[in-house]
Amino acid sequence: MHAIPQLLASTILLGGIYALIAVGLTLIFGVMRIVNFAHGEFLMLGMYLAFWSFTLLGLDPYVTLVLGLPLIFGGGWLSYRLVMRPVIHASHNVQVFTTVGLSIALQALALVLWSADSQFVRTSYYAVVVRFAGIALNLAQIAAFVVAVLFTASLFAFMRWSYTGKVMRATAQDRHAAALMGIDTGRVFALTWAVGITCVGAAGVMLAPIYPVYPSVGLQFVLIAYVAVVLGGLGDMAGALIASLVVAAVEVTSSYAIGTAWKEVLYLLLFIAILTIRPAGLFGQRGAEVIGT
Amino acid sequence: MSLLSVAGVTKRFGGVTANRDISFEVQPGELIGIIGPNGSGKSTLFEIISGFYHPDAGEVRLDGGRLTGLSPDRVCRLGVARTFQKLRPFAGLTVVDNVMVGALTRTHDVRHARARARELLERVGLSEKAEAHARTLSTGQRKRLELARALATEPRILLLDEVTGGVDQRTIPGLVQLVRDLHRDGLTLLVIEHNMRVITAVAQRIVALYLGEKIADGTPDVVTRDRRVVDAYLGQVYTQ
Amino acid sequence: MRDPRPALAFFAVAALAPLVVRDAFLLDGLILILMWGASAAAWNVAGGYAGQLSLGHSAFFGLGAYSAALLGTRWGISPWIGLIVGAVLATAFGFILGFLSNRLRGPYFGLATIAFSQVLLLVASRWRGFTSGSEGIPVPFRPGFWTLGIADKRVWVYLVLVLAVLLYLVEVYLERSRRGYQLAAVREDEDAALSLGVAARRLKVAAIAVSAALTAACGTLWAQYVGFVDPYYVFSVDLSVRFCLAAILGGIGTPLGPFLGAAVITMLETSLRARFGGIGAGLIGIYLIIYGVVLILTMRFAPQGLLPWVGQRLRWRPGLGPTS
Repeated sequence: MHAIPQLLASTILLGGIYALIAVGLTLIFGVMRIVNFAHGEFLMLGMYLAFWSFTLLGLDPYVTLVLGLPLIFGGGWLSYRLVMRPVIHASHNVQVFTTVGLSIALQALALVLWSADSQFVRTSYYAVVVRFAGIALNLAQIAAFVVAVLFTASLFAFMRWSYTGKVMRATAQDRHAAALMGIDTGRVFALTWAVGITCVGAAGVMLAPIYPVYPSVGLQFVLIAYVAVVLGGLGDMAGALIASLVVAAVEVTSSYAIGTAWKEVLYLLLFIAILTIRPAGLFGQRGAEVIGT
Repeated sequence: MSLLSVAGVTKRFGGVTANRDISFEVQPGELIGIIGPNGSGKSTLFEIISGFYHPDAGEVRLDGGRLTGLSPDRVCRLGVARTFQKLRPFAGLTVVDNVMVGALTRTHDVRHARARARELLERVGLSEKAEAHARTLSTGQRKRLELARALATEPRILLLDEVTGGVDQRTIPGLVQLVRDLHRDGLTLLVIEHNMRVITAVAQRIVALYLGEKIADGTPDVVTRDRRVVDAYLGQVYTQ
Repeated sequence: MRDPRPALAFFAVAALAPLVVRDAFLLDGLILILMWGASAAAWNVAGGYAGQLSLGHSAFFGLGAYSAALLGTRWGISPWIGLIVGAVLATAFGFILGFLSNRLRGPYFGLATIAFSQVLLLVASRWRGFTSGSEGIPVPFRPGFWTLGIADKRVWVYLVLVLAVLLYLVEVYLERSRRGYQLAAVREDEDAALSLGVAARRLKVAAIAVSAALTAACGTLWAQYVGFVDPYYVFSVDLSVRFCLAAILGGIGTPLGPFLGAAVITMLETSLRARFGGIGAGLIGIYLIIYGVVLILTMRFAPQGLLPWVGQRLRWRPGLGPTS
């Protein structure tokens, strides 16, 4: 019974981080209708950024986060201009394969630059454990969670209250009408993409002290993120947030109950089950999974 | 027995009742016009008859056999064909290939299907364009293609959804004549139309819908003078 | 109609090569081209012809590889039987995937297929008792045709050539036959196809199931040729992408496209391997970067594939209809 507070705390921490990844992914889908298969690779690049600046410059990942944010944003913008913009009006299939190509190229780049060996960012505090009320939590995880919450909250606030956020939401609902209203949809897409990438890149920087870093680490996280995104309803940011917690809960409890080896199988099967039974997610409209709308 | 029998068909989408208790009969060889303002449920009715939607209540029967609940391809094989209001040609295929898809529902022989397709293209006046890609056709030509394609499935009843919509004035008489010829040759037709001139000229009977309900069912003369139809749709009594 | 000459030329060259070429390295390259070509063609049945872009076909490839390897190592059963078992298993899984394809459109389906192949990867790499877990299974070499223990590469060329030609013919059948026209209609506009009496759902499921069985057969042969089954390779997303990449590069929805795409990819790979031989990870990275960039560029400039693109330049009509 006293496992429950621990499980709960772990769920919240993990869920917060997944939320940051999922929210960026669902934002990109909501506004641009693109399923970004390369999302995990930007996470991976964020992790490597933290690794590089830690080993070469001795910078703590949280410092890297602050200093590197413009860099990550710029990288996102650049990848949009170079890779996504030319196919923004093409069919879904073309876009899918473009992001698949991007995913391959980025993973391979990491392989060339850093080799397939797992790297670790061993900050001075990475093993510090905070204990209270019978719960033990890793300090780095708590810090990651706090930053994730800040980012996600800012993003929500931005989308809700800022003019640009409204413009993005309008484009998400009907890009043609938005264009007719004088909105520069090209810029909206570039911004959306860059923001989505920034979220996941930032998540990567913060995950570096916690997980091993290797070129294909993105796949594992992005699959989780996709489970959350689909469960929450593609394009629904609040849904993605709640779903991230659900997914984290499943992961934490199944880790506890059946061990880590099989938990991945479990949530992949969960994913397939959701896609089969209710592809629109918990909150989505039935029929929304037939894309084109 | 009626060829097509629509009885008590009701369909709701969330809070909107698109079709409410719609009933009418279609006898073999009839040409029935379906009129009504936008949003009155005409297309929804077609979607239900052709099997794309399942009604919440009521049923549709073809020659006494139940159609409701069957998949659209089954409905087609049983003899109900349709065209779409928003044209849907197989853009990447040639014109003749398009029609062949329909023909292949009735024959397994590809050569036979091709011959049949060419005959139909001749009939609708698209022979010259047989080898062209469907995406190169003009709207009027696409309408003819859609018609030929549906006819290739050898339907007993054909549902035409706004065949003169979006087509320039010069092309309309040709299309209308085509529909007339098909009717004269024995095909039963259900035609959604906004163009009153066209529909009063070809239809033997008109069914008028308004806000999901049937408000009139009778000969063109009677329906165009019906008070409710005038109020809801025509604005004034329609005279030739 | 379509021009069969390029295909005839391609297969003729492949058939004649072993008579002229002695170099094991070149023959190996040819065998791999034919094998990857066949796998890509099998993918093309579902992806190009039925329009179901699966990113998880390695699931079927792996099933074929594992079936033969397990039956061979544990019970000494002939890999030919293993091929059939693998194909049957793959067909069953193919039906599941087919069912999913009717519930999901576009990218959702792609995601599901990835999840699918990853489940199989995890099961294969963790089930130490049955599949030897992450270590993989070495395929025993027992000389003889029945055990597919063939040392002579020239014989392998003909063996794989038979598979390749078979797959090519399956694709051609899909172009010319009644089913082919119906499938083309389904991938262009499923609802319109339904309205014309095409049993779209059943067709898609059938196409995926057939594609699965054929992919598994390729997996079995590959495992026997290479001699080792590694779960992390055989169920990988990279491998799935390789099948689509070959088909897309060469011309999705054309019968010869997958083979030409496979030829390009394999030649690139083997030449890079020869040039940089032994530098390990760095090398793998380079040609993968090239794949990624080529895929991006192809989607940008020639989404129907290189073959149709070239064909248009030469004023040819290589296929029944593009899918994009």
